[in-house]
Amino acid sequence: MSDPEIIEQLKQGSELAFKKLVETHQKLVVNTCFGLVHNREDAEDIAQDVFIEVYRNIQKFRADSKLSTWLYRIAVNRSLNHIRDNKKNRWFHSFEDEVSAKNKQLQQLESSNSDQPEFELENKQRATILYEAINELPKNQKVAFTLSKYEELSYQEIAEVMELSVSSVESLLFRAKKALQKKLYKCYQKKCM
Amino acid sequence: MKCKAVHNNLIFFLEKELPDSEMKEVREHLNSCPDCALFAEEMKKTFGILEVEKAVEVNPFFYTRVKARLENQEQEQVVGRPLLVRVLQPVTFSILLVLAVYGGIKMGQPYHSATGNDGLNEMQMIPYLNEMDAEPIEAFLME
Repeated sequence: MSDPEIIEQLKQGSELAFKKLVETHQKLVVNTCFGLVHNREDAEDIAQDVFIEVYRNIQKFRADSKLSTWLYRIAVNRSLNHIRDNKKNRWFHSFEDEVSAKNKQLQQLESSNSDQPEFELENKQRATILYEAINELPKNQKVAFTLSKYEELSYQEIAEVMELSVSSVESLLFRAKKALQKKLYKCYQKKCM
Repeated sequence: MKCKAVHNNLIFFLEKELPDSEMKEVREHLNSCPDCALFAEEMKKTFGILEVEKAVEVNPFFYTRVKARLENQEQEQVVGRPLLVRVLQPVTFSILLVLAVYGGIKMGQPYHSATGNDGLNEMQMIPYLNEMDAEPIEAFLME
């Protein structure tokens, strides 16, 4: 079943079409949310809300853009709202503080579970460093980077989702990568990675 | 190429986004500088995390959960809020608000308009004031 067929049948209230929509685009939505919130459970929760929003507003959907573009937009907006709502008490923490605090938590957790191999702990520490560095990026850079890295979207596709020009997306990605590199180098110098 | 220049372009080197000549320069520098090579390796491993995350399998119960959440929300809408919350509560609060405003206005009015004795009070004050005019304070003190 193609996307236009799914939309058409969904507009007529077909439950099968909704199931097909969820199954086809589940990975896209969950991955996008995960790329922004960096927590699997939260990402799935947000993704569920994304599909419910699509189900409720399918009558408003015009075929001006692709269904996937619409899904990306909703997923990005909902994830950013989630981040905003959970941002309390984090304003005065530096990137290094966040990383070392999370790594300490991780080590405590891992030391109680001796079955885990050491490289897994190392990978988790790396993930923490990377997520914190991504979280520190400005909103637009974060969205562009996530869509580029997690979803491997082209500059053109990212521009459509974010409703920006291709050159703006290029600039956002360039600045995001520079900023990430700088943060990771700083962290490397301070031996937090 | 200096270490700083390599650090500035390392992420683009790892993503193969540099021009060929710069790619070659960075590669040569990394072969000769163990410190930069170590940082490059760290960066490569750290960004490699993204590839691992992307490969994570989707939850097989995802659709069931979406459906359950949707049905729950629909049920909540059908049942709706009880009559007390929907109608009585706003009406009660509106009445209380009107009463509070009315009470405030009443309490703010001057006391004399409520008592009605102000005419008498004024009359009682007049003789004293007239006496002050007739007998200045200097004369009173002289006596």
